[in-house]
Amino acid sequence: MFKKILISIVVFYFLVLIQTSFLVHFTIFNAVPNIILILVVVWNLLEKRKNYFGVINALIGGFFLDIFSNYFIGFYVLILVGSAIFIKLIFKRYVRIPFIDKI
Amino acid sequence: MRFSFKKNKILITVIVVILLVFLLNVFQKEVRSLFYSFSAPIQKVLWGAGEGTSDSLQSIVRVKTLKQELDELKLENQELLSQVVALKDLKEENETLRQALGLELQKDFKLSLVQIIGKDISQDFILIDKGSKDGISENMPVITQQKVLVGKIGQVYENFSKVMLISHKESSFDAKIDDISGVVKGQGDFRTLFDLIPREENLSQGDIIVTSALGGIFPKGLLVGRIKEIKRNDVDPFQQAEIEPFFDISQSEILFIILEF
Repeated sequence: MFKKILISIVVFYFLVLIQTSFLVHFTIFNAVPNIILILVVVWNLLEKRKNYFGVINALIGGFFLDIFSNYFIGFYVLILVGSAIFIKLIFKRYVRIPFIDKI
Repeated sequence: MRFSFKKNKILITVIVVILLVFLLNVFQKEVRSLFYSFSAPIQKVLWGAGEGTSDSLQSIVRVKTLKQELDELKLENQELLSQVVALKDLKEENETLRQALGLELQKDFKLSLVQIIGKDISQDFILIDKGSKDGISENMPVITQQKVLVGKIGQVYENFSKVMLISHKESSFDAKIDDISGVVKGQGDFRTLFDLIPREENLSQGDIIVTSALGGIFPKGLLVGRIKEIKRNDVDPFQQAEIEPFFDISQSEILFIILEF
């Protein structure tokens, strides 16, 4: 578990650097896609409901986004962890997507 | 009732996380500064790579329109050249008159060169590689090489600063078109609005907006943008105009901070 968290920290750190320094040059209708949010949502959608590594990923991703943003530290942590918990507790319980169920 | 650590594992974790977040917010300046200092070299490389890749991609995508744009620019260039010649004459005349009247010429700005290393993903803020150690302080104006206004220093760290772009929602300053005064307000997402212009004033598309010395925030004469669309109605005593800002952070790596003006 510790190893997984460590890998996650390194991956999210570099993803946030790519997000804030590389992807800002590629805007779509003046907006830059948030790859951290996309990754957290996809991870939690694909992960089994009883596993909670997706929530830890949301916490790590949110923390790095907070560091490189102008909001208070905890802003993106709340958004991402909230999204992860929402997907795990509500979305996965009440919504069934055949494609995801097969994975 | 006995307190069990095993049973309250989740509660303890939540409390620890909240405390940690609270502590991080207390020392956020130091924490952010630390992260920025070891991330800056990587961010500089990524910024340069992003700029290069986006330039090449854009040239491929826009190859069709480039020919038309080139013709238009050639025409504009010719017009500007004739204006430059006229202005040179005026400058000489102006200098002679100033000398005759004993007036001092306006001192040049004291500038500091900075490099962009990152951009906030949701707000109109950019991160630059100089901070309080280099004599940067809050509210200093930030411009490009072509005297285009980018914004002002919003937050200062030891070796880094955050620039609040003129398109940030909290940004507003006095500006003018010739002798028509108004206020430029940020709208977020690189959009700006020229507001509080008296209804009787005649604006037209393409008019160039420059800063005025009225508010004292920015020196006068810095380029802001071009009028894109005019919004006027019979009820409102003021008219508004959407601005197409001259600055494009994705195309610029180097900026200048005006230390004194």
